[in-house]
Amino acid sequence: MIQFLFDTVIRALDLALIAVALSGVYSLIKFPNVALVQYSVTGAFLGMLLQQAGLPLLVALPLSAALVGLLAMLFNVLLFERLLEEGSAIALIGSLALSMILSAVFLLAFGPAAYRFDLPVAPAMRFMGARVTVHQLSTLAITLVSLGGFAAILFFTRLGREMRATATNCVLAAASGIGTRGVINATVFISGVLAALGGMTLAMRGSVSIDLGTQMLLPVFAAAILGGLGNALGAIAGALVISAAETFVTNTNFGPLFGQDFLFAPASYAQTASFALLVLFLLFRPAGLFTSEVNRV
Amino acid sequence: MIEASNIRAGYGDGPDILQDISMTASAREIVTILGPNGCGKSTLLKTVAGFVRPRGGAIRINGEGAETVPIHEKVRHYGVGYVPQTDNVFRTMTVTENLLMGARDLSRDTRNERFEALMTQYPTLANKRRRKASALSGGERQILSLARALMAGPRILLLDEPSAGLSPAMMHDVFEAIGRIRDAQDMCILMVEQNAYEALSISDRAYVLSLGKVALTARSADLLNDPAMERLYLGGDPDA
Ligand SMILES: Nc1ncnc2c1ncn2[C@@H]1O[C@H](COP(=O)(O)OP(=O)(O)OP(=O)(O)O)[C@@H](O)[C@H]1O
Ligand SMILES: [Mg+2]
Repeated sequence: MIQFLFDTVIRALDLALIAVALSGVYSLIKFPNVALVQYSVTGAFLGMLLQQAGLPLLVALPLSAALVGLLAMLFNVLLFERLLEEGSAIALIGSLALSMILSAVFLLAFGPAAYRFDLPVAPAMRFMGARVTVHQLSTLAITLVSLGGFAAILFFTRLGREMRATATNCVLAAASGIGTRGVINATVFISGVLAALGGMTLAMRGSVSIDLGTQMLLPVFAAAILGGLGNALGAIAGALVISAAETFVTNTNFGPLFGQDFLFAPASYAQTASFALLVLFLLFRPAGLFTSEVNRV
Repeated sequence: MIEASNIRAGYGDGPDILQDISMTASAREIVTILGPNGCGKSTLLKTVAGFVRPRGGAIRINGEGAETVPIHEKVRHYGVGYVPQTDNVFRTMTVTENLLMGARDLSRDTRNERFEALMTQYPTLANKRRRKASALSGGERQILSLARALMAGPRILLLDEPSAGLSPAMMHDVFEAIGRIRDAQDMCILMVEQNAYEALSISDRAYVLSLGKVALTARSADLLNDPAMERLYLGGDPDA
């Protein structure tokens, strides 16, 4: 049971970083940027390259995150601002196209192999009966600090107030003297940072290959929609639900149900869980877990 | 003061909604814009505010060319306040938060002083200061929206149908308040209105738009006595 909770939380936090980024940006620009999952992959590759170039991990991680943030901003100014003038459907298709292009670039640069961060080998420890590794704990810490930092920005800073005001009513925010374009770009930067951190924490516990982005797309979207698209912190709750479902599907012994000793669903069935939840929610609670108008970003 | 000359404007690659509009509004003056639905009143206000970029013509504010200055800079630079016709509050924020959004660059003392003054003036808001704006009635939102604009202490106020949805008593209060602001604070007020009679009673001059052009401009007092007013009242074409 402890193991189940632990696996769920670890998985949830990977999703959460990227889902929060997706939802936060959505609240301002009203289209879900599919390319965000590729920003995660970019962050993971970039972090790895920086580490190979000789930087200590503690420098490589934030530097890669900041660079991906800048890249996200660049794409926003060069591409999405213009596409959005034609409407959010066009911008969505544009983000799909950008996603595919980035994928192709990764294939050219890295090939189909899986890459790993250069981390010291750490034996697993036992914690209240659950197996945990040092890497799991350190990525957990990175994620919690990042999410906490984002929440602090959102609720306790001037930028955060401006982000929430712009998300609620962009016209009125501008009429209150807020430079909404700058606020949007700052948010896009933050979303790039969060997505990159999410990609790097994933890669630190496993590996990164070019299809990581595609694998993350469905669960991240499901988490963001469950949390109520545009409700950034709701996405964390969405991520918890999705990953609980995924962990349940892959960690449960379905053997007894079928008169066998052991029967585990293949790991690839995890996606089925998020997909099923996504469909159920779209059918019955399209506004997400929280229907009242909570603090949207 | 605002001077718009030969403004042409529209949305996207659509047709010109405003065709060659010229108008002025000075400090210590209330100018009302009247006209039938869809004739471009809100578009004119949005163009002056800076949400819509004119395709031609010039907009000067206090003598400076301002047609390309975006709204948030006009707010800081010229003290422009804008109250949109719809979606005029931050729905997810409380009444207090809405008002504070209008006063982001003020000192704490000024802010508190204005806040309390507005609370005294509009008891409806004071009673609901902790409510989310989405939980207010349409008329209450209208008041909140006006109060938010006043929090900033604007020198130029652009109001898009400030009396829409208000009860007669409340409408009277709001118009009276607008008249008082003009005199007390030397404000330049440009106001779109459907309640022509009430609006003309407090305003100095008026422009009547029709199909994106200025059909008629006159002193409000003269317009009030004009037989054409009857047709205006019905939202008809004053040239008909
Ligand atoms: N955002 C927009 N995009 C495209 N067209 C618009 C937009 N806003 C208004 N229009 C068009 O511009 C014309 C004038 O609209 P506007 O809102 O200025 O009218 P109005 O005089 O304020 O009307 P009302 O009295 O109903 O408020 C209308 O034909 C409308 O369809
Ligand atoms: Mg209008």
